[in-house]
Amino acid sequence: MNDGPLIVQSDKTLLLEVDHERADECRRAIAPFAELERAPEHVHTYRVTPLALWNARAAGHDAEQVIDALIGFSRYPVPHALLVDVAETMARYGRLRLEKHPVHGLVLTSNDRAVLEEVLRAKKVQPMVGERLGGDSVAVHPSERGNIKQLLLKLGWPAEDLAGYVDGEAHPIALTEEGWSLRPYQKEAADAFWHGGSGVVVLPCGAGKTIVGAAAMAHAQATTLILVTNTVSVHQWKTELIKRTSLTEDEIGEYTGTKKEIRPVTIATYQVMTSKRGGVYRHLELFDARDWGLVVYDEVHLLPAPIFRMTADLQARRRVGLTATLVREDGREGDVFSLIGPKRYDAPWKEMENQGYIAPADCVEVRVTLRDDERLAYAMADTDERYRFAATTPSKLRVTEALVKKHAGEQILVIGQYIDQLDELGEHLNAPVIKGETKVKERERLFQAFRDKELQVLVVSKVANFSIDLPEAAVAIQVSGTFGSRQEEAQRLGRVLRPKADGGGARFYSIVSRDTVDQDFAAHRQRFLAEQGYAYQIIDADDVLA
Amino acid sequence: MERMSEGFTEWLRSRSDEQLRVLAMSRPELITPVPANVPGLAARAGTPSAVGRALDRLDGFTLAVAETLVVFPPDELPAAIHRATQDAPGTDEAIGRALATLTEMALIDGERRLAPGVQEALDPPAGLGQPAARVFRHDERAITLADPRAVRELIAQVGPQARAALDELAWGPSSGRVPNARREVSVETAQSPIEQLLARGLLGAIGDDTVTLPREVGLVLRDDRLHRDLSPAAPPLEGATRRADLAARTAAGQAFTFVRSVEELCEIWSVDPPGVLRTGGLAIRDLRRAAQQLDVPEWTAALVIEVAHAAGLVATGGPADAEWLPTLSYDLWRARQTEDRWEAVARAWLTLDRVPGLAGGRDDRDRLLNVLHPDLRRGAAAEIRRRVLTVVAATELAPSQESVLARLTWERPRRRGAHLARLAEFALREAEVMGLTGLGVMSPHGRAVLTGVKAADLLAPLLPEPVDHVVLQADLTAVAPGPLTGELDRWLGLAADVESKGGATVYRFAEASIRRVLDAGQSAEEILAMLARHSTTPVPQPLTYLVTDVARRHGRLRVGSASSYLRCDDPAVLDELLADRRAGVLRMRRLAPTVLVSKASRATMLDSLRSMGYAPVAESLEGDVLITRADARRTEAQPVRQVNGLLAPEAEVVTAAIRALRAGDHALLSRPVPASQPGGAVPRTPATATISALQEAIKQGSRVWIGYLDSQGQATSRILEPARIEGGYLTAYDETRAAIHRFVLHRITGVADVN
Repeated sequence: MNDGPLIVQSDKTLLLEVDHERADECRRAIAPFAELERAPEHVHTYRVTPLALWNARAAGHDAEQVIDALIGFSRYPVPHALLVDVAETMARYGRLRLEKHPVHGLVLTSNDRAVLEEVLRAKKVQPMVGERLGGDSVAVHPSERGNIKQLLLKLGWPAEDLAGYVDGEAHPIALTEEGWSLRPYQKEAADAFWHGGSGVVVLPCGAGKTIVGAAAMAHAQATTLILVTNTVSVHQWKTELIKRTSLTEDEIGEYTGTKKEIRPVTIATYQVMTSKRGGVYRHLELFDARDWGLVVYDEVHLLPAPIFRMTADLQARRRVGLTATLVREDGREGDVFSLIGPKRYDAPWKEMENQGYIAPADCVEVRVTLRDDERLAYAMADTDERYRFAATTPSKLRVTEALVKKHAGEQILVIGQYIDQLDELGEHLNAPVIKGETKVKERERLFQAFRDKELQVLVVSKVANFSIDLPEAAVAIQVSGTFGSRQEEAQRLGRVLRPKADGGGARFYSIVSRDTVDQDFAAHRQRFLAEQGYAYQIIDADDVLA
Repeated sequence: MERMSEGFTEWLRSRSDEQLRVLAMSRPELITPVPANVPGLAARAGTPSAVGRALDRLDGFTLAVAETLVVFPPDELPAAIHRATQDAPGTDEAIGRALATLTEMALIDGERRLAPGVQEALDPPAGLGQPAARVFRHDERAITLADPRAVRELIAQVGPQARAALDELAWGPSSGRVPNARREVSVETAQSPIEQLLARGLLGAIGDDTVTLPREVGLVLRDDRLHRDLSPAAPPLEGATRRADLAARTAAGQAFTFVRSVEELCEIWSVDPPGVLRTGGLAIRDLRRAAQQLDVPEWTAALVIEVAHAAGLVATGGPADAEWLPTLSYDLWRARQTEDRWEAVARAWLTLDRVPGLAGGRDDRDRLLNVLHPDLRRGAAAEIRRRVLTVVAATELAPSQESVLARLTWERPRRRGAHLARLAEFALREAEVMGLTGLGVMSPHGRAVLTGVKAADLLAPLLPEPVDHVVLQADLTAVAPGPLTGELDRWLGLAADVESKGGATVYRFAEASIRRVLDAGQSAEEILAMLARHSTTPVPQPLTYLVTDVARRHGRLRVGSASSYLRCDDPAVLDELLADRRAGVLRMRRLAPTVLVSKASRATMLDSLRSMGYAPVAESLEGDVLITRADARRTEAQPVRQVNGLLAPEAEVVTAAIRALRAGDHALLSRPVPASQPGGAVPRTPATATISALQEAIKQGSRVWIGYLDSQGQATSRILEPARIEGGYLTAYDETRAAIHRFVLHRITGVADVN
């Protein structure tokens, strides 16, 4: 019997035994074509999806390699049907190619006429294509380059985009590696992107995605448009770019609700791009304001739908997407693939943690018991009020206080959803509260104070979840929140994952009301975190209070 | 014709018993039922259907030889075949083999003359047109065309377009449509190319608008060859090379998965049986559901269901036979080792005379074809399946579907067609899913099933070893890195939900699943101990917490069932009732000081209490809870028809048949009239002596005189040539009646020597 580290399941999941001596070798072999789905302590689960297989094809792997890897590492015989499916799926990528044509601009060609005929018969394809140029190619309206790629992916024949890119307006950008240097994986990620032309780089929170963006800009040496999630992010990117590159403050423009600067490097928020007046997007001209050589998308998994549509028109420009996860709550992974590009780089969290680039975190769920009168009130509460009731029980207050006391001297973040609860906590803990209405200036001031360790405890609401940088947060205490969303969990954990100067481990507490809907939500979180490979523990509030 | 068939009969008669046996083996329909004598055999062999079936069994080359014999005299055969194969190496040997086969099958006689009926069955041979003599009756053209040189001259006279038309028809089809085919034309008046040809007799009208190429002309155009590119050998099988061990392991993996699917299906149907359609079979909706539950494509689900049925593991049952249920045999099957279980289902599949692959599709009349429905029966299914597998087993390669089909077509050219291609495709994919083949290569165990050898022993070492441990993880999953041993498998099936299947099984623990174990009577400590015992890693803290947390709340509320209750504000009355012996049958239990419950129905309760002198009143049944759990149900196994007709008949049967035939023939020749009743007393011998005497007679092939009680109980006597004893019957040629009869053994009163 073969004793490989891999077990191939009939549902196309791959189980990798991580303690096996060939596990590392196997992980490297399967990573290009399988997405890591779960990474608990002993057995990791990868999934082979059509997109993953096409990503592998885009990265230059062929079906033979995939099948060899599966058979070579598998402990048990690989189901024949799966192998056939892999070969068939992979053969679908690249049958159609988008190419540049000296006369017709953009053409769709294929060496498999049957496939071309099939897609051309599709009703939605017809308006996108022009005249038929011989048997194997057809002209495509250059403006439809993105749309046709989206459509072809939906039809199951993803096209390989070989039509190239415009260089854009040149602008010198260099990394200033003074007192710091590009980490090996950051360099690999930037190089992988550049060779691929366009695509997505997947790195965990805290792994320095901004720097990968800067490195990509240094490759492009051209004017760059950076799209980020919110204003805080804009400032952060700006600070980081000034620090890490030869760019000066004058070369970087902010394009937000309040400022509308267009400079060689311009940072805009998704929000301003998608804001409408009178039913039209008012800031679309930003895309044409300069001859951008590179477009950077931060947090691709949050990219709003209108941006996808705008991106469809930007296919001639190089695009790099940065994200912690390819999983989208709305299932639009396929659009990321066709419009931004295939996955170009991916590194597993755990491995980076082992290399010391991100801090390991301990997750602890603290269960508080509702008082008898609270239980009665909970039972009588309306369904939609139940969560709020369970999540904001006063018992959590005492537990939070106890935890803050326990971790006195460390940088502590308290995260919650309900403003009343946060205000109350702020009062009890004697800590400032950052919420939606907090002014950006004030927010940044508090963050800076927290960074400088002038502030030890900070209470934040949901708004703090995305793209803020709190390097020294060692402890996070989550008191409430809509836990259903997987990527929100990743974000929250990302807050405390930042490597700390003393190398100490980070801690993530979540406080949960026992036997309530709060606990059901917590079960999702527990599963997600355990699947990400974090140590997870459940304790009773009494243990904390004791 | 009469002479010819007489000569054939004589030739048949001159064949040895062994030769006749070979004939019967290759054409079993000739001896079912056994003909009375050799003329009977000859007559049957010459019927169109018998000839047709015999020709159906010929391979491409042998058929070509037979066709050549239609056109050329026997002594010209080798030369004609050599022309057709273009002297390919091995032609002579192939001709020898083909002639031997044709002789064996009595399609030609000892002088290579075609047997009666063969020529007619092969008409037109190799796509040639009709002979000129038939096309131009009473016409001199027929005589002209008999000379090949004359034909060549005529062909040389026509223009290039006409020549092209001839070439078009040369290799068949030999006739074409032309308007006004019977028009009058002469060489002088001929205008169009067709007219040129008609005028010269190179084409002949055989209908008002149909013309044909006379056979003689066709042969000249074909350069005196009957066949184009005739190959003396079968087309080679082409396909990918696979590592044999890998292929065998893959097949074993599939075998394992398939057995598991069958078991899973039966388990699901145990508690949730689908209904039987009014017309028989299983609804498409239920097939889809099964496919979803088994996590396989629909065609695989159809296969699993059909095979489970063929193996006698599921059958109709339940009230009015309206449900598909696992059978009692299923329980026996389930208790066996995986390899034995596989062998059982694989054999059932091999002889299955149904085509599961058709399920879900539509028939010619656009009716939906349902699984397990009688409509899925196809007589040729099992034969084609076996032939496909035999072809695959003949090579070490993973033969491509095309080359398998090419080989099948060559083996039985008269049986090709879309039907064959479809059945072959189904057979190949089903063999792969069932694990007879792995990566397209025939596995050792698959080969064993095919040849009828015990396969389980070959499969067993290839199957994954059962493991007795799992890997527990903090995300509340357990991974079983292989098939689990029985006890653990059942326990985990209860304690966790299956999330993913394959070589390994991924289980997930959840509140509901832990509750199931607690419901089954285990405590939290027992669960944790079980986990600790079978985990290779420490039990993760969240899992321990989950178990204890569920256990903490488990059983806090108690639910029971009772048929009636009794309330009384005065506890003393209830004390009194409980103490009353007459109330014993009511089996009452006290739930609270003022409440009693009973298993007895409300009506019984009321009656009993009244008879005891109380005056109870009935209350409505609000709040009465009944909890029932659906039990695993079973039905009787029903015999499933297995068709063996396509398989070669048993040697014993054939031998007996030949013996009977010979005896009949002997009787025919020596005593054309029925033998007279022998005189003297009816023989009487003890039963054991009777049987041994009959067996001896069978062995010797000698005749005996028996006493026999007929169905009216009359004592008669017969002269027999016994052929075979089986199942309480003697099969023998009855010389008294000049026919083959079956005799009930216990009615034979005695046996005596004829002489």
